[in-house]
Amino acid sequence: MKLRRLLQLTFQNLRSSRVRTLLAMVGIIVGTALLMFFLGLGQGLRERVLNRIFPVNQLELEPRAVQLFGTQQVVGQAPLDDSRVKQLAAIPGVVRAFGKHKSAFPARLWGGRELLGYNLFTEAFFDGMPVEILRAELESFEKPNGKPASAQKPLRCDVDLDCPAGAMCQDAMCQHVVWSQHWRDTTVLALPCNKNDECQSGTCADGHCQLPNAQPLVRCMLEKAAGNGRDLEFDAERGLTAKPCDAAGGFCKTEQPCPERMYCAADHPDSTLGYCEEPLPAVINPLLLEVFNSDMARSLGAVPVGSLAVLYGVRFHVAFGDSFFTQDAARPMQQYKQAQVVGFSRKAPELGVALPLPVVAHWNHRLRGNDSQGPYDAVLLETADNEAVPQVITAAESLGFSLSRKSQAARTAGAVIFFTALGLVLLALVVLAVAGVQIAQTFAMLVHERRKEIAVLRALGATGSDVAVLVLGEAAMLGLLGGICGVGLAWLGAMGVDAAAHQWLANVPLLPEGFFVFPSWSAPLAIGVSLVCCVLGAAIPAGRASRLDPARVLAEA
Amino acid sequence: MTTTVAVAARGLRRQFPLEGGGIVTALDGVDLQINAGEIVAIVGRSGAGKSTLLNLIGAIDRGYEGELAVFGQELRRLNERQLARFRNRQIGFVFQSFNLLPGLTVGDNVMLPASFGAEMPDTMVRTRAHHLLDEVGLGDRFNQPPMQLSGGERQRVAIARALLLEPPLLVCDEPTGSLDTATADQILQLFQDIRQKRGTTLVLVTHDPAVAKSADRLVRLERGRIVGTTLEAP
Repeated sequence: MKLRRLLQLTFQNLRSSRVRTLLAMVGIIVGTALLMFFLGLGQGLRERVLNRIFPVNQLELEPRAVQLFGTQQVVGQAPLDDSRVKQLAAIPGVVRAFGKHKSAFPARLWGGRELLGYNLFTEAFFDGMPVEILRAELESFEKPNGKPASAQKPLRCDVDLDCPAGAMCQDAMCQHVVWSQHWRDTTVLALPCNKNDECQSGTCADGHCQLPNAQPLVRCMLEKAAGNGRDLEFDAERGLTAKPCDAAGGFCKTEQPCPERMYCAADHPDSTLGYCEEPLPAVINPLLLEVFNSDMARSLGAVPVGSLAVLYGVRFHVAFGDSFFTQDAARPMQQYKQAQVVGFSRKAPELGVALPLPVVAHWNHRLRGNDSQGPYDAVLLETADNEAVPQVITAAESLGFSLSRKSQAARTAGAVIFFTALGLVLLALVVLAVAGVQIAQTFAMLVHERRKEIAVLRALGATGSDVAVLVLGEAAMLGLLGGICGVGLAWLGAMGVDAAAHQWLANVPLLPEGFFVFPSWSAPLAIGVSLVCCVLGAAIPAGRASRLDPARVLAEA
Repeated sequence: MTTTVAVAARGLRRQFPLEGGGIVTALDGVDLQINAGEIVAIVGRSGAGKSTLLNLIGAIDRGYEGELAVFGQELRRLNERQLARFRNRQIGFVFQSFNLLPGLTVGDNVMLPASFGAEMPDTMVRTRAHHLLDEVGLGDRFNQPPMQLSGGERQRVAIARALLLEPPLLVCDEPTGSLDTATADQILQLFQDIRQKRGTTLVLVTHDPAVAKSADRLVRLERGRIVGTTLEAP
């Protein structure tokens, strides 16, 4: 049968039984819409919600621990060093692997006054990360589309606060700063020590690690002991101060013998002597801002922070060895330092701060003693794509590693989302199957009603298969139209849900831009499934139509 | 001059099973020869087997016993696809109730037989449909829906449709059964013209004496048997 004529007859038949066709299409439209909707929702939850919290192609591995006397212990394994990281990096499907060091010492931080108007205090948790791993990511955050986000026209200034977010005052002009460049190995830092083995490399001299090829540290003196860290203030103009300093409540001005952009870091909280150093480069996870902006800001009476850009360059204080929760280290072992936000990364801890790996390793070593597991305590792997993840996990497990709790939670959450979405998709398929049954009934009726017409076509030379193709073509047309309408309905539904979510759930943390992601294949798939359901539904009536005896039907007529 | 045989039936027998069991014999040993270019009317009472014979000759039923050849082709030897192709090319059907598809225009109805297997370019099919509609006096109705036509006009459209692929045999089941006398006369005249111009063989089943009268030969059936033939219709 000629295609043009087939289409013509198909349209004619659909038109002549318009109402019944539309009723039959309702089920198909609803089923296709549900299928598309749930496909988009499942994908959206994975990509826009789960992947923001736990990037799917990012795995955190730890040496496999065993349950020993009620605690998790790593026994009988070689230290987690560069050679073991290289082993993991060699697993097929792994793009990058790097060791990290999680803080295991008490610490607290405070700051935010310059941004919020008052300081926030919190216990601090750190991940030590290699510089080369985060650099590209910091740049991608800082220069979306390859352009610096904070590039501004130069403005006159006296202090950094006169400048727009992310810029700094240099030579009385606001200058754009490439913050990602502050995340580097060569940051001048004074790491206190008592003996040589506390220093990862180099030697311990004058109470500080002297690193080979590092700039010599400059000694400095604070005018007054910083005192209890809770009373410390950071002021952009005055530097580190302790308050109150005098009866009038004024700030004590500290000596600032250090070069520009450095400050005098006291050897310990009770010392007025210290070394000039740069602020610790700190990287935070963008999720932290979202969490702060949702409930935390409101409960603290703070104004939500508008964008990540305003956090560039924000300084805060870190007290190593000091804690709100656990036993403090002896005061001579503590040290108060400044840190500065130099960028954002999803690899940074969600509720913590990423610092250069040697810093975290140093403080772990200094405050917790020798670390038997080697220079790293976890490894972060990046896979080429999500599909490679299961094989990579299997290979890593065979090398004596297991997923960290965080990665396990991510896998569990991913599985829950996957199976929930799968269940909903199956529900949609059931609706489509029911619609297919409805199509079968409709076509059975239509074929019965058109028996005479079919008999005439047969008399004019149509074969049984011509008739079957005609009926199936009609069903396919129905499936196509129903599928397209269903896809449209799903899109509208998704837009409605997203709009409602932003209307009613604006304060919920981690609320994504939209809950739905429709992959390019989803619409063709939904329409294809709709088409197949209709064609399968019409298959039996089409078979009957093709076997219709024209002589008998014409005799009845 | 050699006479071509259009239809040759010998010992033709057709039985149908009854729903409650048993068998009914619709045709019982029919011997019939129809020559090319003849107009043959088949008459008889209801249930005599007229339509059964017409369906067998029209190749839409082949559950027969005996022999039946149309233009030398034994129909039982054709498979389903070949039989459909045979009907398409060799036989034109005209029904009592016209059987035009209401959703198609007059022109599309006429062109319908070309949809099934005919390897004829669309432009040629269209030209031929126009020509045929002109011939039956409906050239200006090409794009109209058939429901807007009178009964006689619809039957002329059906005849044009039957002639599209120029089949050598037209089988007509009560072609004037739904028409008034004047219109029926026009249709009969059209049949005569068709035979005259194209040499088409026409087999008509009818109760209408006027139709029977217009035929070259009359075949009378009773209880599935031919009980009389006349070379010239009365």
